[in-house]
Amino acid sequence: MKRPLYAGVAALALMTNAALADGHLPIAPGEGGLNWASLEAFGAANNLEGEELTFFGPWLAGEAQSFKDMMAYFGEVTGAKWSYVGSDSLEQQIVIDSEAGSPPNLVAFPQPGLAANMASRGFLKSLGSDTADWVTENYAAGSSWVDLGTYADASGNKDFLGFFFNVNVKSLVWYIPENFEDAGYDVPTTMEELKALTDQIVADGETPWCIGLGSGGATGWPATDWVEDLMLRTQPPEVYDQWVTNDMPFNDPRVVAAIEEFGAFARVEENVAGGTGAVATTDFRDSPKGMFSTPPQCYMHRQASFIPAYFPEGTELGADADFFYFPAYESKDLGKPVLGGGTIISITDDSKAARAFMEFLKTPFAHEIMMTQEGFLTPHKGANPETYFSDTQRGLGDILLNATTFRFDGSDLMPGGVGAGTFWTGMVDYAGGKPAQQVADEIQDSWDALK
Amino acid sequence: MDNIAGTKSSLTWVVHISVALLVILWLLPTIGLFVSSFRTADQIATSGWWKALTASEQNLTLRSAAPDTQVETNGLFVIEGQLFDAAQEAEISAWGINSRAIDAFKPGDTADLRKGGTITVQTDGSYRMENTEAFAGKRGQRVFVVATVPPELTFENYRAMLFSDENATGMVKAFFNTLTVTIPATVIPILVAAFAAYALAWMDFPGRALLIAVIVGLLVVPLQLALIPLLKLHLNIGIGKGYLGIWLAHTGFGLPLAIYLLRNYMVGLPRDIIENARVDGATEYQIFTKIILPLSFPALASFAIFQFLWTWNDLLVAKVFLIDATGQTTVMTAQIVELLGTYGGNWEVLATAAFVSISVPLIVFFTMQRYLVRGLLAGSVK
Repeated sequence: MKRPLYAGVAALALMTNAALADGHLPIAPGEGGLNWASLEAFGAANNLEGEELTFFGPWLAGEAQSFKDMMAYFGEVTGAKWSYVGSDSLEQQIVIDSEAGSPPNLVAFPQPGLAANMASRGFLKSLGSDTADWVTENYAAGSSWVDLGTYADASGNKDFLGFFFNVNVKSLVWYIPENFEDAGYDVPTTMEELKALTDQIVADGETPWCIGLGSGGATGWPATDWVEDLMLRTQPPEVYDQWVTNDMPFNDPRVVAAIEEFGAFARVEENVAGGTGAVATTDFRDSPKGMFSTPPQCYMHRQASFIPAYFPEGTELGADADFFYFPAYESKDLGKPVLGGGTIISITDDSKAARAFMEFLKTPFAHEIMMTQEGFLTPHKGANPETYFSDTQRGLGDILLNATTFRFDGSDLMPGGVGAGTFWTGMVDYAGGKPAQQVADEIQDSWDALK
Repeated sequence: MDNIAGTKSSLTWVVHISVALLVILWLLPTIGLFVSSFRTADQIATSGWWKALTASEQNLTLRSAAPDTQVETNGLFVIEGQLFDAAQEAEISAWGINSRAIDAFKPGDTADLRKGGTITVQTDGSYRMENTEAFAGKRGQRVFVVATVPPELTFENYRAMLFSDENATGMVKAFFNTLTVTIPATVIPILVAAFAAYALAWMDFPGRALLIAVIVGLLVVPLQLALIPLLKLHLNIGIGKGYLGIWLAHTGFGLPLAIYLLRNYMVGLPRDIIENARVDGATEYQIFTKIILPLSFPALASFAIFQFLWTWNDLLVAKVFLIDATGQTTVMTAQIVELLGTYGGNWEVLATAAFVSISVPLIVFFTMQRYLVRGLLAGSVK
């Protein structure tokens, strides 16, 4: 029974190929252990011949290609005409387009703060309670994903408006296994061991960490990830939630302590490559390259799962470079917290094709086809982990599926003026030598000013 | 001052030298970018562009062949090979097998491997690994070398941008889209501005001085102010996002400068010619087309260059008025930004793209530059 269906898909592929300028079908139907049945069922239920779908997202170059490939399958089985446009200034452009009344059908937001902002202006369309229920049931830690995608609309009613797709894990430390072998170091499994290893490397006359906060206009964000990660390792998740919503003030001693934990790594001259002065000025994209220089300038680099894109060309993950989980304190009983981020897909211009695409994102196939390409992680429990691009990706996916606590990048949840403003600049000030208490006070002042 | 004619001032040399210095200083970033466009991403990340031009001593991490290439002869397992690529001519001055001691050995020395066996590396990068047992594992041995490497430049960036399958179609499409935007967006404002400038320079009507003042005043209004209101207007009157919209926007944003430049130039034309024509019975339109336009050619050309360069390099106006979610109307600048990647780290692409994108404006500039200087001077100096 399956064979004619595959043939149908293939025939459709031939017919519509001319219409599709971008995006190709990287895997032939029926191969690669993907859930092709879910694609066929979806295609049989949705005929979108003559419909158009426009999609606007933050992914460029290679990542855009992965997404276009996924959209190509959607176009194949439904007959819809689709297009994807990526932009590095999505934050501004989507607001301009929506204000002027010419938004695309669907948007992928790089962070929830922007989506919440767009929702409060009434630009996002409800995804419905059945989609919310689906996420609760099918995503690992599902209800937290629903909460993160639920925003207040123009009239203040809470509604499920954002569907998480493509998640990244931030609680990772990257290292080079052969350098560890050469020096006789072991991968630390607790925060105590990590700190001991840091001291050990310094004692051996080497530099343990590469830390770079530079990122153009967004300089400082890598440090906010550090502080959030350390917050989750020193305080229970409830405290983290209060901090993110400002129910607990930013200058609370518990937050200041977390900032100082970061300082214990980044503000000690011998701990960082180039010295503490280089922390704020090194670009986060260049920072990991210190591990690969000859001789190595540093041994470890804490950064999210996307960073291998900036490793030197030809680096083989798992062999030339690898990661370990940024460990938790053994002495504090806080489980294995994981910090992450992700992109959110929302409907900005309702249409039959847009609704159908949201349905498509629920099929295991849509996740699996992305998993076969680099840089995609999913909390979808129904997707086959065997389809992950590499063992490294699978390892990252495991961290995501096995997390006892998952918390979203806090700076993305805070109001833009803080989470994408004073928190960033405050951390640059802190790295430059300002006391943690003073930095926290100033951030809290800026938060009060926004209320 | 009796040497004013005939002898050269002794200060001439100072002038020449300072001009040369300024030119070099001014061109330095461009030269750096140009050299960078021939380097790989890793080279850009690890060393400055000035080091790309001469042979330099570098520390490199290389790897021997994997154990599955080993050959057994008389109970001795041997892996032989060359650390460098075939085309590369480098000279090793020291080497090591531990990242903590990368220059522990001299060429020709033999080092004991941690997992058993020995390795010998020669000056030219050839090596020989020996072991009495089979080499295990999947990967070759890391070898660190201190080597003098000749300069290495590559056309790979240009090939990837212009001829590779994934980028070429997009770049060609963007190139023609940009031309579609640029040419009308240069011609339309010149047409309108020439008429307006003539009227403001040579026709008497009440409120003329005020009108000129308003236009000059518009020069200081930042165009960012008008983006959203103008886009809303376009959508309300049904133009939407597209070529017509961006032509109108570029025309509007370019007009104040165009009128100002052309009016100043036309005002400087000799009054006698125009009055003669009037006496001979020429209409205003005839004066404009037969006398003013031919005489104003340098000013028209210099403004055309300005407007062409600005619309060619524009990203902001294109993103607001042209590029929609269908992706069919991408311009060069937007295409280049896309090549930079999601986190914007692909510097080699940026350098290359800058020179690809710059080539057309350079051709335009060099074919018309003699008018640029003349037009600007004639407009400003009486």
